[in-house]
This record gives sequence, C-alpha cells and structure tokens, in this order.
Amino acid sequence: MRTLPRLVPAVGVVAPRTATLRADVRGFLAEQRTAGSFAPSVDGWLSQWDESFSRALAERGWIGMTVPEEYGGHGRSFLERYVVTEELLAGGAPVAAHWIADRQIVPSLLKYGTEEQKRRYLPRIVHGECFFGIGMSEPDAGSDLASVRTRATRVDGGWSLTGTKVWTSGAHRADAFIVLARTEAVDAERRHAGLSQFIVELRQPGVEIRPVISMTGAHHFNEVFLGDVFVPGEMVFGEIGRGWQQVTSELAFERSGPERFLSTFAVLAGAAEEMRSARLEPDVTLGRLVARVAGLRQMSTAVAGALERQEPADVAAAMVKVLGTTTEGDIADFADVLLGDESGCDPAFLALVAAAVDQRPGFTLRGGTNEILRGVIARGLGLR
Amino acid sequence: MRDILSVDEDVIDLMDSVFTDHQETRTPSDPVTFDANLWDQLAELGLVRLTGPEDRGGGGAGWPEATALTSAAVRHGVRLPLPEHDLLAGNLVDELGFDDDAGVRTICLLDDRGRARHVPWAATADRIVVVWQVGEEHHAADVPVTALRIDPGFNAIGEPRDTVVADLDALDGVVVPNDLVDSLRLKSAMVRAIQTCAALDRALDLSVLHATTRIQFGRPLAAHQAVQGLIADIAGECALARAATEAALLAAVTTDWSAPGLELRVAVARSCVGHAASIVVRNAHQVHGAIGTTREHSLHECTRAALAWRSEFGSVHYWDQQVTHASAADGGSGLWELIAR
Repeated sequence: MRTLPRLVPAVGVVAPRTATLRADVRGFLAEQRTAGSFAPSVDGWLSQWDESFSRALAERGWIGMTVPEEYGGHGRSFLERYVVTEELLAGGAPVAAHWIADRQIVPSLLKYGTEEQKRRYLPRIVHGECFFGIGMSEPDAGSDLASVRTRATRVDGGWSLTGTKVWTSGAHRADAFIVLARTEAVDAERRHAGLSQFIVELRQPGVEIRPVISMTGAHHFNEVFLGDVFVPGEMVFGEIGRGWQQVTSELAFERSGPERFLSTFAVLAGAAEEMRSARLEPDVTLGRLVARVAGLRQMSTAVAGALERQEPADVAAAMVKVLGTTTEGDIADFADVLLGDESGCDPAFLALVAAAVDQRPGFTLRGGTNEILRGVIARGLGLR
Repeated sequence: MRDILSVDEDVIDLMDSVFTDHQETRTPSDPVTFDANLWDQLAELGLVRLTGPEDRGGGGAGWPEATALTSAAVRHGVRLPLPEHDLLAGNLVDELGFDDDAGVRTICLLDDRGRARHVPWAATADRIVVVWQVGEEHHAADVPVTALRIDPGFNAIGEPRDTVVADLDALDGVVVPNDLVDSLRLKSAMVRAIQTCAALDRALDLSVLHATTRIQFGRPLAAHQAVQGLIADIAGECALARAATEAALLAAVTTDWSAPGLELRVAVARSCVGHAASIVVRNAHQVHGAIGTTREHSLHECTRAALAWRSEFGSVHYWDQQVTHASAADGGSGLWELIAR
C-alpha cells in the first residue's frame, strides 16, 4: 500500500525547563500592562514599534536569545526563544522594533555572517540598540523574488548598489537592512543564479526612504531607493552569487513561527472575555477557532523542534503559514460579524476588531502569498 | 529525541501485510460484516489484545501500537471492533480484574433504564462490558451478549451501532472508579479521532495518486494549479488534525490519562479533526471527479467513514461547544493559559 511520508514532524514533549521562563514572561507582561506601558494590540509584531519596550525585553535577555555569549548573547535554545515569542505575541505586546532583527537577522548572521559582521551587529541587536529591515521585495518583484532588479556593481573597495526596494517595514526607523541584489545579468536558464546579499546601513548618502501609507493611514511600510550606494566589501553578506540559497534556506523559520497564527490572538481573547461577561452570546465558532489555534500551535512547535534538530521543514512551514494566516483572518472576521453599531461590547475590544479587520489582507500576503505556499506544499506532495 | 508515539516500522509492515492479504479478498462494494477469519488471524498474531498486560495474555504494548493497528485497518478499509475490544472494553476488563477469555468484546454506558444506544459492534460481540450509574458511583459487569437484548442498528457506513438493553436489577457489578469512567469517555472520543485522521490521510493519498495518474487536457490533473491548491489544502487539514490528535494522545499516554486539561485537549483534537473532515472530504471528491462517487471506487471507504466517525462519541458541534465553554469560562486573561499550559 502506497502511503505518503509524513510532511509535518511529530508532536513532541515540551521541555519542562521552559515552564519557569514562560512564567517569567507572563509575569513581566502582566506587570507592564498594569503599569500602562502597553495595551494589547493586533499585529503588534508589524505595527507596534516601541523601542523602550524592546529595550526592557533586552534587559531581561529576551532578544537575540540564541546568540552565543561570545557575541553578547545568552546562548539559549531555539525552543526557549519560541516560548518567549509566543508569549509576547499572545499578550499582544509591541514587539515590531526588534522583530526582524530577532527573528531573521540573528539566525542569518550566525549562519552566514563574517566574524566582523557578527561582532558589529549581534551585541547591539541583543541589547535592543540595533533594528533591522528586510530588502527583498521590489516594485516588479513580489512573489516572484528571482526577478529583483536592484544591481550591485563591483567598485574599488566594495560594491555600488542601485535599485528600489519596497514594503520595507520600519525602514524609516531601523538602522540597516539586508538587500538582495543582482550581481550578474539574468540567465533565463538559471534565474536563481547571480543573486547576492548585502548589509546596507539605512542612514547614509544615496539612501532615500519614502513612506508607503497603509489604507488605514498608518505608516509601517516604505519604499527605499538606493542610488549608487557604496557598500564596503566587508558588508557582503554570505557569498557572492549564493543569495537565493541563503534567502530560501531561512524561509522555514520565517513561515512557521507563532506570528503566523497569533497576530489576532488579542481579538480571540477579547471575544472570550465578552462572552464571559455576557456582552456577547456564546458562539461555538469561538471554540472552533480556539481549537484551531491550539492545533496550529502544536504544528508550529513541532516544526520548531525539527528546525532545531536541523531537519528540513519547508513544506511543514508552508502548511503552518497557509493555515495559520487564514485562521488569523477568520478570527478577525468572526468577531466583526458578531458586532454591529448597537453592540454593547467593551470599546477597547471594538477597536481591536476594527484594527484586525484592517490588518487582515496583509496576513495571507506577507512572507509568501498563500497561493505560492500551496505550490510549495504541492511540490512536497510530488504534484509538481 | 525518541518520539514517544512512534512505532517500529517492522510492526507497521506486519499489520499492513495482514490487511493487504485480506484486502485482496474483497472489494469496496462489499457490505460491512464481522470477518471472524480475519479476527482469528489477528488474534493468532497477538494483535487483538495489543495493550493487555503480558501476564494476562496481552501484547504488553500501548496506545501508540494500538493507534498504528487501528490506522492500518482504516487505510485498508477493514472494519473490525479492534479499538473497542482492546483499548476500551479490554482495558476495563484488565483494570477490574474480570476473566479475559477469548471472546470479542465491546463496551457501553447504560442509562438509568438500562439502555445504551449506538453501541459499536454489540450485535457481533460475544460479551459486552456494561457500565451503569448507581447513586454517585459507577458499576460495571462483563456480560455475555446472550444475557442482553440487542436491537441492531448501523452507522452511515454500515458498521453495527446497536441498542443494548439490560435488566439493571439482574446485573451483578463491581464498582468502577469514577476517573476510569471519565477516561473511558475521553478514550472513546480519541479512538474516533485516530480513525478519522487515518481516513483523512488515506483520502490525501488517493487524491495524490489520482491527480498524478489521470490525464485531462493532455496533462496530469496535478499539473493544474487549481487542483494543486485543492490537494495542498487537504494536506494542511490532515496535518492540523493529526497534530491536535497527537498532542492530546501524547498528553494522555504520558500521564496515564490524568493530564491537567486533558478534556480540553481531546475537545481541541475532535474539533480540529471534525472540521478537517469537511474540507478533506469535499476537496478529495472534487479532485476525483465523478468516478470517486461510485461504489466500486475505494474513495468512499475513507470519505464516508471520516464523516461517520467524526460524529460519534460527540458531534463536532458538541466538541466545539466544550472548547467554547472552557474559553468563555476563563475569559480573556485565561484563554492563552488554557492553550499553553
């Protein structure tokens, strides 16, 4: 009998040593909420930039947790980092400032960074003093990332970069970003070849940052114009010509994390509270969505375990993201259809729901659209 | 890290080979019957009382092995009361120290009039472990089926789901600890979750097989992006159902069914499994086209079974309600702690 190999790793036992850490983060969040330093928000990892909150986390050792001590870090495990991030997200904490640096730049630097790059950036990231953006998408390269046009040309002492990056979250506040650029002309047969990555400081001549205002009026995204920007040779990230492999090797981390199903958890918790307080009637859709989030958390944790053991998990990560981001959106819509203009619900809950509905379209787009990810899953199943 | 729920590949191969041999003797059109020959063959291989203690003639194995056996049976379209006999009735027989003879057993909870409805495989059993309430406690007895009245019934796929009527005054039972009765309910719910997961996985396998071999418009169905999307969503739902089920099972077997919040984990699993079945069944039939709706095609063996099983030992709505009640009872501040204990 033909059976497919399992695509999602088995659910494992959560290490008991994380219980204290989890309790510490919960205690910290309760304390901060009581002190009024934040109110739970939706999509806090994209939209709530709060550098003092990030520094408070850094003081407790909760940024760049996996960075080895020799680079100013804490040498904690990937699963310990997972516990901290899921607690912060579930609590609706404002974590946008350090999110990209902590999630993406730290593991990339540890894997591909030079000694000098690691010494320069890792200690500052760990201390919540250096924030990063991602320079992948371009006006003509969204889901089709291999079609980036930003060019890097070799010059004396380094490279000169020219091109336009877009959807760069927080570029107007961050210190640097990692840019994917063409270092060789496109070869139609090998579209993924000839791409390279560079660390580019955002505050320097030739870098122009223009806001891309969201439909709500909020400013998270930017367009970043690079006009003949000099990048010294020591800021080449990884190997010239290996940009595609470097970018794609880290995608499973980006796609399977708790931010792919917890962006609207504050709405789910709010709906439970409204039902507890009898301002909303009990509705079984709440249970269906809570069950889904609980199941997704098991899947996501299983993928995190596989990644820590350095097992391939691209397909499983794509599944977490497709199901998780759809569920985040379903949570927003579930709450929205329960509420009308005569609702007696807590105004703070109404505001959360309104924000969730506005953020929803982005959930299933960012980090690879769900249509692209279904293609990844289909490939994993041998369909293409 | 050794995966606690994993089972030796050789054991799974053995199970698969027995069921494969059996499968060659039947077609998807055959009605469900209790196949005594197959049962005896499984008994000789030591597979029908896998989880019984070895000193009582059992296999000394646990839920992971029993899960593998039940799932293998589902994969091959074999209908037998394997989990009812071993994991449910057999477990109580062992716990209560009843004589464990060679008969086939099932189990039921009688109401205060001595009736139980939708009892799986009662009409084909030799003995039934009946459990009933006496005041604040529960009693149980291991009764020959001849001492009970059985009104035959069937579920949507033709498996026996019978009404059992006992004369409570004539029953002579022993006290069952209430926590055993509570865990019996959870175990019954988990058995159907496990079976449904296996059926959904089979629907995924069949969909991939069909889409890669059926040619339309000059290319395999799988080459069409819309079909890829349907199957990708099947795979995602199967994975979510399995993750939720394994999480509940892991919590159960590592604590002998006493984990704090186990009821909620089981409810989460049953909710995820139940809703997964909606999408998987719909998409699998869509991928298969009209041929998948015929009696001769094996797709219905998993799709109709998944829909039947997800509604047994609690409807999908019931399990959604359980999660809803728990969520609303704890309110906003407690919801995350409910999920991430």
